Amino acid sequence: MSHSDAKNIMVYVETVSDTPLNGGLEILTKAHKLAAARGEEVIAVLIGSNLEHAANTAIMAGADKVILVTKDNYEMEVYEAILTRLAEKYKPSLILSAGTLVGKDILPLVAGNLTTGCAVDVMEITDKDGNFVFTCPVYGGTVLNDLVIKGTPAVAAVRSGAFEKELVVERTGEIIKEQVGVENTVRAKIVEVVNEMAETVNLEEAQVIVSGGRGMGNKENFRLVEELALACHGVVGATRPAIEAEWVPRSHQVGQSGKIVAPKLYIACGISGATQHVSGMIGSGYIVAVNKDEDAPIFDIADVGIVGDVVKVVPLLIEEIKKIQSL
Amino acid sequence: MEMLVCIKQVPDDSVEISLDLGTKEPALIGVTPVVNAFDTYALEMAARLKETFGGEITVVSVGNDEVKNSLKNCLAVGADHAYLVKHEKSESLDPCGIANILKKAVHDIEGELETKFDLILCGKESTDYASSQVGLLLASKLRLPVATNIIKVEPMDGIMRIKQETEEGYRSIEAKTPCVVTVQKPDYDPRYPTIKSKMAARKKEIKELSPSEEVSSMLEVIRVFEPAKRVAGIKLKADNEQEVVAQAMSVMTAAKVF
Ligand SMILES: Cc1cc2nc3c(=O)[nH]c(=O)nc-3n(C[C@H](O)[C@H](O)[C@H](O)COP(=O)(O)OP(=O)(O)OC[C@H]3O[C@@H](n4cnc5c(N)ncnc54)[C@H](O)[C@@H]3O)c2cc1C
Ligand SMILES: Nc1ncnc2c1ncn2[C@@H]1O[C@H](COP(=O)(O)O)[C@@H](O)[C@H]1O
Repeated sequence: MSHSDAKNIMVYVETVSDTPLNGGLEILTKAHKLAAARGEEVIAVLIGSNLEHAANTAIMAGADKVILVTKDNYEMEVYEAILTRLAEKYKPSLILSAGTLVGKDILPLVAGNLTTGCAVDVMEITDKDGNFVFTCPVYGGTVLNDLVIKGTPAVAAVRSGAFEKELVVERTGEIIKEQVGVENTVRAKIVEVVNEMAETVNLEEAQVIVSGGRGMGNKENFRLVEELALACHGVVGATRPAIEAEWVPRSHQVGQSGKIVAPKLYIACGISGATQHVSGMIGSGYIVAVNKDEDAPIFDIADVGIVGDVVKVVPLLIEEIKKIQSL
Repeated sequence: MEMLVCIKQVPDDSVEISLDLGTKEPALIGVTPVVNAFDTYALEMAARLKETFGGEITVVSVGNDEVKNSLKNCLAVGADHAYLVKHEKSESLDPCGIANILKKAVHDIEGELETKFDLILCGKESTDYASSQVGLLLASKLRLPVATNIIKVEPMDGIMRIKQETEEGYRSIEAKTPCVVTVQKPDYDPRYPTIKSKMAARKKEIKELSPSEEVSSMLEVIRVFEPAKRVAGIKLKADNEQEVVAQAMSVMTAAKVF
């Protein structure tokens, strides 16, 4: 694709049960700002069925145009082909998606099809003299890279929580129905989808997160983390060892291979502060850590560090916080 | 079952890498090179499959001579053959470039060993650059089915049955053989080498391959920097928990946390 005729930002917005996921909406809001400054448009792409309501939400979040493509089931290869076709037709200069499993599956393939490059885990996008610059973490987030993509369009999967969503009810936009014929290319077929999580955990949007690590000792003690979370009206998070010990389901994992979170308050209980965990919560507003080892690295990033045994400290914290909350 | 595991050597991921303020490059001197954690999971998965279904495991890596050490380690924990595609500056390649080289390597190795791979395993991502794209792009270039983030794979009646971890649970996927998978951490850990397996590995040869023609990288890093550092706040210690919690509460209420 030649550079000269590429313009506008295309955003793939993933939907679940006909509802757009927040990650996609956050990106639309960011894309709206980037596009408006260039005098360009934001084109949202939604694939599924019964998407009219979702399309309106996408417009509120910042889309100027919404392309609806009807498909019953998710198949990676079909979605990849659809997005590639739409990119060839609409010629955007930038394609974005949230870095969910789906986003991280299809975007690299779309980039490959269009012989361009794809950035993942993007934390920030800036427009520098007409070129998009992407900020990506390396080495578990201890170092950051700013990179540019030399091919057109630039393709990028954005990390959750990187941008903030703004829904403006007054916004208007155009809804376009596209039929995209793709040959039956499915080589890896999804035969069953199992939802194991009894509850939905919304760590990304939580204002308060209370996380527990290996230092909680056992499943019973881990309940203290849940109680503290309840007392602070927060959500429960965990480190990988706590998940592997089956004290809490996988959907609660915070870190490099879990969720990237940015609550106002993060309380870390019995967590050492390994890079892979810290890179997922370093964006928190205020960090409190409880650890019996006064040299634990988590104290280097905590606003308040409590040196002590979680089994003794956490119940007292619960008590004190309950007192405040009842005032 | 014939398996190929793609191995990337990365700096030890338990070491916190900082930026060398002089060179403006990540300070990697003295950091032990290791096999990418997710590739060790992939190799362990392959080793278990070999125990059940037989066949051989080949490992391949794109990198310089230093990578031979990592490949030796792979030979000590289940790999039968090891290949190095010699490339002095593999860090400068983008995922598409690596996938191109691996594609050629797959054909070269299949030719040399007179075999066809049934399963190609990659890590879900590398712990240094975490691009999480090489497996997908390799599959696309080889026109093979691919499933990412997998925690289990099993051959059955000529197809591969795959368990893919998702945010909410998992998906069962059926793919034609051969296929490519990218491996997430399963609920077991990689095995350690024994003295005996290390000795045996030392005797094995690491064969070298030449890379395919280079395609220029689509990604260009224009700035390397450190994230804004958080300043450590206060650390509270006291003889008893009541006291330390009381102190903490007063700091937090003063900061209007509650
Ligand atoms: C590729 C890769 C990806 C990873 N992804 C993630 C990820 O997404 N999320 C994640 O969390 N980890 C991840 N990890 C694992 C990570 O490296 C660390 O091993 C993990 O975060 C450590 O968890 P922890 O702090 O609970 O345990 P530990 O490091 O064992 O720390 C336990 C802490 O509890 C303290 N403690 C013990 N007993 C008590 C007590 N009674 N009272 C108070 N304190 C106590 C100890 O002093 C210690 O500091 C990943 C690792 C790899 C290799
Ligand atoms: N230089 C390399 N040599 C061999 N395999 C690699 C190389 N780089 C990446 N891979 C494979 O691709 C996976 C994902 O890497 P990445 O896309 O860089 O995150 C790794 O876990 C490896 O299995």
